[in-house]
Amino acid sequence: MTSIEIGRLLRAGTTGFVVGCRVSQLDAPTFGGLVRVPLGHTKDDYQIYGLIHNIHIDDDGIVRQLVTADHVDESVIADNRLNRNVPIEISVLTIGYRHNGIIKHLLPPRPPLSLDVIYQCNPDELCQFTSAGRFGYFRHILRFEDAPKGELLAAHLGQAYQAHNQRANKDWVNQATQELITLLRDDYSTLMSVLGALGDALYV
Amino acid sequence: MTLTLHYRGEYMALDFQQVRQQVMQMGENALVRAQYLREKRRKARQILDAYAAELVSLQTKVDTAISANPNLRCAVPTSEKLDHRASCPTIPDAVTVLAADGSQINPDRHASVDFCLVNVGGIQMRCDAPDAPTTTVQSQLLYDNQMYTSSGHITERMVALMRDLRERELLAYLTKKIDPPVITLTDGPLELWVGRHGAAQAREYEKKFKRYLDALRQLHSAGASTAGYIDKPRGDLLVRLLEIATLPQNEIDKAGREYRPYLGVTDANIFSALLAPGERSAIFGIQSRNASKYTAELALHFFYLNVSQNEKHPYPVRVEIPAWVVDNSQMLNDLHAVLIDQTQMLGSRPFPYLLHRSHEVAVVTHDEKRQVENMIALELRHRGVEVGQVSQKQAVKNASQQTGRYQR
Repeated sequence: MTSIEIGRLLRAGTTGFVVGCRVSQLDAPTFGGLVRVPLGHTKDDYQIYGLIHNIHIDDDGIVRQLVTADHVDESVIADNRLNRNVPIEISVLTIGYRHNGIIKHLLPPRPPLSLDVIYQCNPDELCQFTSAGRFGYFRHILRFEDAPKGELLAAHLGQAYQAHNQRANKDWVNQATQELITLLRDDYSTLMSVLGALGDALYV
Repeated sequence: MTLTLHYRGEYMALDFQQVRQQVMQMGENALVRAQYLREKRRKARQILDAYAAELVSLQTKVDTAISANPNLRCAVPTSEKLDHRASCPTIPDAVTVLAADGSQINPDRHASVDFCLVNVGGIQMRCDAPDAPTTTVQSQLLYDNQMYTSSGHITERMVALMRDLRERELLAYLTKKIDPPVITLTDGPLELWVGRHGAAQAREYEKKFKRYLDALRQLHSAGASTAGYIDKPRGDLLVRLLEIATLPQNEIDKAGREYRPYLGVTDANIFSALLAPGERSAIFGIQSRNASKYTAELALHFFYLNVSQNEKHPYPVRVEIPAWVVDNSQMLNDLHAVLIDQTQMLGSRPFPYLLHRSHEVAVVTHDEKRQVENMIALELRHRGVEVGQVSQKQAVKNASQQTGRYQR
């Protein structure tokens, strides 16, 4: 199964990065989706993994002006989405990396560079990353303050649950939930919020 | 004594105390001036009403005035009454709208390399299709011998003329590939700005003007209509016609010279009170020494169009069109309807959407100018050619704009 290219890197730090993408690429990335960035400048097998925690569509003066019109033509909408430089930014939280075939749930030694290509992970890659280690990447998510943790975890676990289920690994979600309960045992309100969101994502 | 003014640590080049005094004087005069102009507008409107149907006698009077003053500049009535109002027709089903705009990097003697650039952009949209419009950009770098005309180093005015010419040629080129009906638009008048030239410059101008007329003829041959859109017009061609109307026959030689009783009143002032939203005015010819070079199917005409959607806030714009559009009622109606449709796309700021987009497609930013300059310098150095240096004046200006440790 091939990975889908969703854009190129705009800016990055050790803990996260921002990707710019065209409107035509916007169908692929989803909130909570796992992405990977193969580092173009290295010869090693070195990839950084992250979770999409925000998809931001910016405006400009003309878009603000167009919304005041009674009716916006289809061709004007297409013009603004395809021809004009509408900035769509996808913010990604770094949760691990792979080096020479080994996946680690640690922050990467170096961030990706400008214009590196970002791919949406396919279900195989998602299962591979989430099965590696013992859910160490959860701590990056639980430490993250700029997005609703419960919603982000629920979106991610929902996608991972489906991928593992298709591969008859039905126990994965239980282990993941158990690990979250352990990690959040001293933070009752966050735990309730995360479990509530998980309930909505997994069992509805 | 020199006072150095600072505001939040930055120099203030403007003496706001001096300006404030003058702003206060301006404010004191404003009410009187507004009352004065209101009265002038009211009288001008009365003259319009009185002479609205006197088309033949007005035409005769203009002809007499031209013989006395060949440089006369005014509107010329056509077959529609002066106060004619045409409501907005239905928008045609299948029409392609094509807009072009241009931008340039002017020659800069302070820069490290001697070059200029003309950039034109076009955008086309089909009215009945949901597809995204297609855009075209043509960039032409001028260097070496192209930086000289027979009269010497190329001027900013000549670059502007080349830009206008290339806009029109781009429209003619793109129109050939599109099935009619096609409506082509540019920002600003159809009439090229002439200015005053020396003999050598005039020859250059004539060459380019001939090509401009050829491009217009190509648009005509292709069955396309064309229009120049003038936003916030300050012209007073109709007001000048009304002045001629009231001028006694024995003083007709004063037309357009010392007899200017309604100076300060603009055509837009008159049409603001006359046109309802979406309506266009009567069509007028243009009498001027320069406009007389546009003959037969190219003869220049104009009308005003109220592009506002609000009864209380009219917004008349001037639209310049050639005679072949005036003579074809279908083309004229389609243009009227498409312009209203285009201006409504931007909601509360009525301006043709495609004209704005053509500006976006064509505009060259300061940053891009700097990049082109660097690109040329790099290429020259790469080939072992010595690159000139920025003038000392420019270098010092650049340095003063940089934030440094010594700046407070």
